[in-house]
Amino acid sequence: MFPLLFLAFVVAIKVFKKTTPNGKVTVYLGKRDFIDHLDSIDPIDGIIVVENDYLQGRKVYGQVTTTFRYGREEDEVMGVKFSKELVLCREQIVPIKKEKQDMTPVQERLLKRLGANAYPFLFQFPQSSPSSVTLQPGDDDQGKPLGVEYTVRIYVGEHEEDKGHKRSSVALAIKKLQYAPPTRGRKLPSSLVSKGFTFSQGKLNLEVTLDREIYYHGEKVAANVIVTNNSRKAVKNIKLFVVQHCEVTMVNTQFSRHVASLETREGCPITPGASFTKQFYLVPLASSNKDRRGIALDGHLKDDDVNLASSTLVADGKTPSDAMGIVISYSIRVKLNCGTLGGELVTDVPFKLMHPAPGAVEKEKATLKKNKSIERARYENSCYSNDDDDNIVFEDFARLRLNEPE
Amino acid sequence: MLLRNQTFVSGPLAFIGEEAGYVPSMRERFLGWNVPPEYSDLVHPHWRGFMAPGKYWHIGLALIYSMLLAMSCVGNCCVIWIFSTSKSLRTASNMFIVSLAIFDIIMALEIPMFIVSSFVERMIGWEIGCDIYAVLGSVSGMGQAITNAAIAFDRYRTISCPIDGRLNSKQAAVIIAITWFWVTPFTVLPLLKVWGRFTTEGFLTTCSFDFLTDDQDTKVFVMCIFIWSYVIPLTFIVYFYSQLLKSIRNHEKMLREQAKKMNVKSLVSNQDKERSVELRIAKVAFTIFFLFLLAWTPYATVAIIGAFGNREVLTPVATMLPALFAKSVSCIDPWIYAINHPRYRQELQKRCKWMGIHEPETIHDSASAQTEKIKSDEA
Repeated sequence: MFPLLFLAFVVAIKVFKKTTPNGKVTVYLGKRDFIDHLDSIDPIDGIIVVENDYLQGRKVYGQVTTTFRYGREEDEVMGVKFSKELVLCREQIVPIKKEKQDMTPVQERLLKRLGANAYPFLFQFPQSSPSSVTLQPGDDDQGKPLGVEYTVRIYVGEHEEDKGHKRSSVALAIKKLQYAPPTRGRKLPSSLVSKGFTFSQGKLNLEVTLDREIYYHGEKVAANVIVTNNSRKAVKNIKLFVVQHCEVTMVNTQFSRHVASLETREGCPITPGASFTKQFYLVPLASSNKDRRGIALDGHLKDDDVNLASSTLVADGKTPSDAMGIVISYSIRVKLNCGTLGGELVTDVPFKLMHPAPGAVEKEKATLKKNKSIERARYENSCYSNDDDDNIVFEDFARLRLNEPE
Repeated sequence: MLLRNQTFVSGPLAFIGEEAGYVPSMRERFLGWNVPPEYSDLVHPHWRGFMAPGKYWHIGLALIYSMLLAMSCVGNCCVIWIFSTSKSLRTASNMFIVSLAIFDIIMALEIPMFIVSSFVERMIGWEIGCDIYAVLGSVSGMGQAITNAAIAFDRYRTISCPIDGRLNSKQAAVIIAITWFWVTPFTVLPLLKVWGRFTTEGFLTTCSFDFLTDDQDTKVFVMCIFIWSYVIPLTFIVYFYSQLLKSIRNHEKMLREQAKKMNVKSLVSNQDKERSVELRIAKVAFTIFFLFLLAWTPYATVAIIGAFGNREVLTPVATMLPALFAKSVSCIDPWIYAINHPRYRQELQKRCKWMGIHEPETIHDSASAQTEKIKSDEA
């Protein structure tokens, strides 16, 4: 009996809901994170329930907006606004415009459950829309954090341009994320550099190889460092950093932050003629970078499960310069210090830091528990088509989000 | 209008009176009549050719100046008080605004001296008074000019690279120290009479550097101070604000391009409103530029005419007006830079309820980011 119940609970769909302040309109969303698969992006599918006789000729509209915030609120001088809001799509939801609408399984189930006053809606992200990124604010920063955000806003109005009233509108902050491709490539990123010195012969060689091209959040990044010293200088110490590169396309600036670092004197000094090989491990984590200004994160600060921003992927046939919003990339930087006069030898090896695609982890580690895999797969269309209606768990959307409606 | 009429009338009258052998009555005396011979150095012969202005001139000016004094004190003291005691306002950019307010206050310190001088119709304290008056004027005048340029630079940095461009408080402190160094050479040199000197001007109740002595040293001095305290700050202001506008235009363009790539038809703010962002900033920048011109062009013109041009046009009234302009602008400064600062207004409202400011509280978790909701927080 118990395992059966347990299974039933796990299979139940979790639905997020949020109601307007006046309690007349409720929005249900199947999820808050929408995945960009490069060739397609998950549609924003939901249901609206309107209380009987509330509208009286008025209509319900929905819109998806993205907000770019590229400067702190308190730095806004002279009436400049460091944020821009784009309306990605806007549609009338009630009364239904289209006769027959394709519905996702979640919508079908919710519609069955919520009855006559429920109306489905479906929004598509435009192709090449940027991923959600939040730049962590510093201690002394007030106001909204910098980054790219998405908001679904449902409002009641007479016509489309009617902005609606606070009491009858509701805003839900959603995230658009990218997952790693199902297979992590076999290519091992590596870099080989050498350095000559003025007034002395011979070269110092440094080779850095990573054990993967794509790492999942929380994984150890292993860097194999090979130093061959053919010069007459000695290497005093070795430093390794995980560098997060952040390109803000809206203002055409980029900056880098060290998100993990390590300094060692192991094997040092590496004297002329000697060589040194060792594997170093670094773990880039959001939790070890708390309160550091400008670290890019995947989501909101108040989320418990916040992680460093995932690397930005671009679709085939597009260059990284086509990417928009905030473009994230990572690299391992190795620095050999040859003393004050000798200078430094530095190299960067790029890698990607991402979320595993649903199912990818299971493929790699068959030992993972079964319920986890079901949980991962719960968005795959087929798994709940024949389920009982009662297996819907409603969760308040607002509880985890800081974006309240106006 | 009345002022201007007087300007034209009083000049020629002076000469007519002289040529016609008209004996002035006790009420119509030449300028400098009350300066004893031991201080006659203070009065350039140029001024002795004009009639002494009537008492109403002195009293009128004293009245105007006392109003300016009140305005300047209220405005600038509020700025210094609130910006230095409110934690949320203690940012690097605001250090410049406080610095500007300090220069404005220094300028206001001149005014009590002027009012007393006006009533006795001569410079009080003679040479020492004149030096004090001129030092206050020169420090505050040049300080304001260069601080305006520094503010332009800070805004340019903040706006062109909003993410990491803004100055930190150390850099801001260095720049403020530079503004103080900026004012020293042309204050200390004339004070020590090494190069140039301070002397009375106009109604002989104010003091400034000497631009009338007819020698090479003075002419070069006037040229240098003209470039140092007028041309250079003005160039900085024009350059930084135009760069600032350029980067705003770039940002807007970049954003429109990205919206286009995403096939977004409607920006929340449509094209017209996007334009107006640039326009609004341009207006603010132009206001600041125009106020700078208004404050210092009259003074610069008078000095240049005195040194190189036709001095006949430099009547006492015409030379009194530039100082009035400069001081009026130093009263407007706090209103331009600070009162338009939304956070400052909020703070002021909190502390001084009697002022009747109604600044809506910004609600942080609201979608205040919308472009269409821009408030009038210009400058």
